[in-house]
Amino acid sequence: MNNAPLRENESKRPRLPWFGIPALVPFLKPFRRPMTLMVMLCLAGGCLDICLPLFQRYAIDHFITGETLDTLPAFIALYLLFVTGSFVLNYGAFYHAFFMEMNVSLELRRAAFNHLQTLSFSFFNRNSVGYIHSRVMSDTERISSLVSWHVMEAVWTLIFMFGALAIMFSINWKLAAGVSLVLPVAALVIVVFQRALFHVNKKIRELNSRITGDFNEGITGARTIKTLVAAERICGDFMKDTREMKRTSILGMHFRSLFTATVSFASSLALAIVLWRGGLLTREGVMEIGTLSMFMSYAISMMEPFFWISSAVSELIAAQVNIERFSRLVNTASDVADTPEVTEKYGDAFRPKRENWEPLHGDVEFRDVSFRYPDGDETIFEHFSLKVPQGSSVALVGETGAGKSTLVNLVCRFFEPTAGQILIDGRDVRERSQLWLHSHIGYVLQTPYLFSGTVRENLLYGNPDATEEQIELAIKRVSADRVIARMGSGLDSQVGECGDLLSTGEKQLISFARAILADPRILVLDEATSSVDTVTEKMIQDAISEVTRGRTSFVIAHRLSTIRSADMILVMKDGRVIEHGTHAELMHARGYYHSLYTKQFELEAVKDLSV
Amino acid sequence: MMKTRETKQNELTKAGLVLIFLRGSKRWFALAAIFTSLVSLLELLNPQIIRFTVDSVLGGKEPDSGGLLAHLPGLMGGVEFIREHLWVSACAVLAVSAASLLCRYLFQLTNAVGAETLVETMRNSLFGHIQNLPFAWHMTHQTGDIIQRCTSDVDMVKRFLSEQLTGIFRIVILIVLSLCFMFGMNARLAALASIVIPLVVGSSVIFHRKIASKFRECDENEGKLSTIVQENLTGVRVIRAFGREQYEVAKFDAQNRYYVSLWMKLGRVLSLFWMTGDLIGALQVLLLLVCGSVFAIRGELTAGEFIAFLSYNGMLMFPIRHLGRMISELSKAGISLNRIREIMAAPEESDPPDALTPPLDGDIVFDHVSFGYEGCPELLHDISFKVPSGTVFGILGGTGSGKSTLMHLLCRLYDLKPGSGSISVGGVDITKIRRDHLRKGVGIVLQEPFLFSRTIAENIGIAVPGIGMDTVRAAARTACVEETVDRFKDGFDTTVGERGVTLSGGQKQRTAIARLLVGRSPVMIFDDSLSAVDAETDVKIRRALKHDFRGRTVILISHRIATLMETDRILVLSNGRIAETGTHDELMRRDGIYRRNYELQMKSPEDEDDAPTATVSAPRNAEVCRE
Repeated sequence: MNNAPLRENESKRPRLPWFGIPALVPFLKPFRRPMTLMVMLCLAGGCLDICLPLFQRYAIDHFITGETLDTLPAFIALYLLFVTGSFVLNYGAFYHAFFMEMNVSLELRRAAFNHLQTLSFSFFNRNSVGYIHSRVMSDTERISSLVSWHVMEAVWTLIFMFGALAIMFSINWKLAAGVSLVLPVAALVIVVFQRALFHVNKKIRELNSRITGDFNEGITGARTIKTLVAAERICGDFMKDTREMKRTSILGMHFRSLFTATVSFASSLALAIVLWRGGLLTREGVMEIGTLSMFMSYAISMMEPFFWISSAVSELIAAQVNIERFSRLVNTASDVADTPEVTEKYGDAFRPKRENWEPLHGDVEFRDVSFRYPDGDETIFEHFSLKVPQGSSVALVGETGAGKSTLVNLVCRFFEPTAGQILIDGRDVRERSQLWLHSHIGYVLQTPYLFSGTVRENLLYGNPDATEEQIELAIKRVSADRVIARMGSGLDSQVGECGDLLSTGEKQLISFARAILADPRILVLDEATSSVDTVTEKMIQDAISEVTRGRTSFVIAHRLSTIRSADMILVMKDGRVIEHGTHAELMHARGYYHSLYTKQFELEAVKDLSV
Repeated sequence: MMKTRETKQNELTKAGLVLIFLRGSKRWFALAAIFTSLVSLLELLNPQIIRFTVDSVLGGKEPDSGGLLAHLPGLMGGVEFIREHLWVSACAVLAVSAASLLCRYLFQLTNAVGAETLVETMRNSLFGHIQNLPFAWHMTHQTGDIIQRCTSDVDMVKRFLSEQLTGIFRIVILIVLSLCFMFGMNARLAALASIVIPLVVGSSVIFHRKIASKFRECDENEGKLSTIVQENLTGVRVIRAFGREQYEVAKFDAQNRYYVSLWMKLGRVLSLFWMTGDLIGALQVLLLLVCGSVFAIRGELTAGEFIAFLSYNGMLMFPIRHLGRMISELSKAGISLNRIREIMAAPEESDPPDALTPPLDGDIVFDHVSFGYEGCPELLHDISFKVPSGTVFGILGGTGSGKSTLMHLLCRLYDLKPGSGSISVGGVDITKIRRDHLRKGVGIVLQEPFLFSRTIAENIGIAVPGIGMDTVRAAARTACVEETVDRFKDGFDTTVGERGVTLSGGQKQRTAIARLLVGRSPVMIFDDSLSAVDAETDVKIRRALKHDFRGRTVILISHRIATLMETDRILVLSNGRIAETGTHDELMRRDGIYRRNYELQMKSPEDEDDAPTATVSAPRNAEVCRE
């Protein structure tokens, strides 16, 4: 029962080298062009932006101090040229940042989603839906905004800062040196606060997801909370979370505003230095007033980049987790994978080569199979061998957790045996593609899953080409016609969010009809009718015996009365098949099956009395 | 009583709701507004100091007479002194900055306290309110939608109130004072500068209004994309079993591309808009540079004034561009607030003040009960029966026959409409009993039990404050789940659900049974709660129950005849009507649904000799449990 999800180990994992950027390279490669364009445009735009205060300087020193307007037309023309240039370049940079953000996230999502389609069930057993979902949706978003907007900001900021410094140094290096004195101070401040903020931000994110989780639980569990009269307790616990969130957020704000204040003060310091030393220079006539004003403009705007840099740095640090989780997801190797030769011949899940597919007849053989779950240490099967001839029905019996589902999962190749082979039609399952096998299997689960959409869409899921008559027939066979008739618009009724509008029993009926429509060679019924009433179940039983005729079938059932007619009954206990045979044989053997069977009929009392 | 309350709550206006939410945070926001106003005032001082330094100290122009600011240089030793000691000006700039930064820090802090108090109040009142809403409300609203309202919409309102509401003080003060100073220095130039204000604000408002629908479209499509992923992950077993990966990928790809294409369209427009804003700003600066130079040459403006003018203009531009965004945010926040209001306006479950708390160990009587869900055809028709105190009562019924609904009515998850019968416990009509008292007394294990993402021990003891570990273990033992739990690495401290171990259906059901048992309710309902438990464990649990909980009223809903035949009396429900009632023996004598079920489950056609079903009914009252 080792179900601890992956993320538990997250904190122990070593950090990715180079902020995880190398891990992203393969995904960014196709975007080399737009990325370069974005950076180039941004560089050019930034250069133009730096020059704008020069116009101010010229206006003051040349026009006002010189009391002449001789160069005014040229001045206007040049300014307009600059402004238009900056408009075009910045627009281009912005557009490409948008382009990068959206298309990188598109590719990342696609990569994650496609990869998920190939991962084995052990992955889905280990990780919750919510967890994987946010890998596909949120992590990709975060990463793509990092490589677009934050890269652009960083480029613009750096070019602005260095450009401004270059201009200042070229005009008056002493004053420029005075201004740049504050830079290391600001840098130090960033480092100090970044560290404090990192922990606070992490805590806030955790609390945020906890609060969302609380809401989710409070809403989905409303019925339970009401019937238990636990609202007060639940609300009390919720209020603890919100209070902690409040405290942490205020702390975060305290750090952030202290940071802003300190950096801004550094900027004022630069301004004061300019005013003081620059003022002296101006007083002595070494520097003109316009130059002084330009210096002041730079000194003030010098701090803007610091806010951007600090936000980019904190974003890069925060996105580490996202990059790490994302790259772990796309690098997770599937426990069950087709070999290159198999893919070569039969195609993969996305590009099947159906023309090479052999028909499946349904002979199933376990040859010396041993199995252990990838994350477990208990062996479920040891040297298990079994031959199931084509068209026979196999029933699996045993307590919860005895390994019944594991056995059918092995047949479906949702897991692969740790040792030994499973043969379908005499050939190892691994010699053919997963899709080939799955296309011939019908699987009805204990917890039926319907997709949102209409009943018809759900029925057609396994066989999109089914005709109206085939649908009708399938529905009748599993006695789902009554259920569907009750649903307002019949086959075109919506099944609701995850089939919520239907009861479990009704969902089981529909998913059974769906499996029949797919016309599979191997049919697996994993307690497919546990929540259906007995009369309906009886009808389905009859349908099953008709449907399974000529197909190999595996039936798991709690109600032993439903499997008596099976060709072979496997009795499982603690991950082992302890008895097998037909119902009559097993009853005569008077073993575990016999006791299970009789116990189920509550005959202990009779025995007690008759002994 | 209920009526007036309902209408009153329905009249809950947006403004009223804001006032409720602002309780406790108002004073912080007021403080924040004061500090932000101070920040703006102080920020406006620096250009004046610079102007003075440039004009009077460096340029040798006579300082303005009059005005409060004119006296300040005098205090600092006079113009001459400052000219010799320029650091005085520098220190003045620093001092003003320091004061302004202190105020800014205080503003941000008080504003954060206000905002976080506000959001805490909002979350708590929403959460509490949702817990108190009738179950019928929960059934008619989608979980995802409610959660979105409680998270994104709350954030939206919080952001607006905290970032924009106090920001508006700052913006107004900045704009008004900047304009004042600018007009004070040179009215004509100021007039030229302010031409752009209506232009920028107006175009920004129109633009944001127009683009709002595009944003919504993007949001909706992101939702669709997210749903595709969600369904793909939840239904992964079905997808694999049918080999439909290709289809899923195609579906995802199409939506992924569509969503991105929508954003790209929006991106083009947004980039253009932002850049146009920059362009207008730059052109306005050009206008000022040219006209300012002309005015200065004519002697209407000093160089220092010109520099100060440009500084003020810079301060003006940002808030003006921001104003447009703010106005459009206002409408977004309004929409969010309205979505929250819809939740808050739904009337809560409430008990009349004279609600009773009688003992609940009496007979349970359903008297001519009819019921149908809102907007659906009637589901239960004229149901009357009695569950005598201290007996075990079984209910059998087909899929969708209304068994669970019957029990939900007893717990008052739904209320009967007047005139469609009544339900009473110990002779008291349940509508007269306080809801929490009734629900504590009538415990139920639901068909698909819900466990909280907490430890197993916490889950079992959730309804009983201060419960001891012994009690939890005892209940777990009775529910046959103790052994299973002990096998987990962390035993009873194992966290279940999304954040921990996933329990199987049977394990969940047994944990839920243990949870019910610790409540020691006089009435216990098992709504098909052993369906995912194998037959052997089923028997074990029922034996233990019989042993530990003798004398309680138990209602058992089940498909298993083996379970039902042990009860004192059985009711058979069919299509919302009572088809049969009686003891096992009575029902067996009749040729009805019960007997047909019995035969289907018990009789074994091929091996009569192995399954001695013929004698099954005789000793059914014999004590099964003899431990």
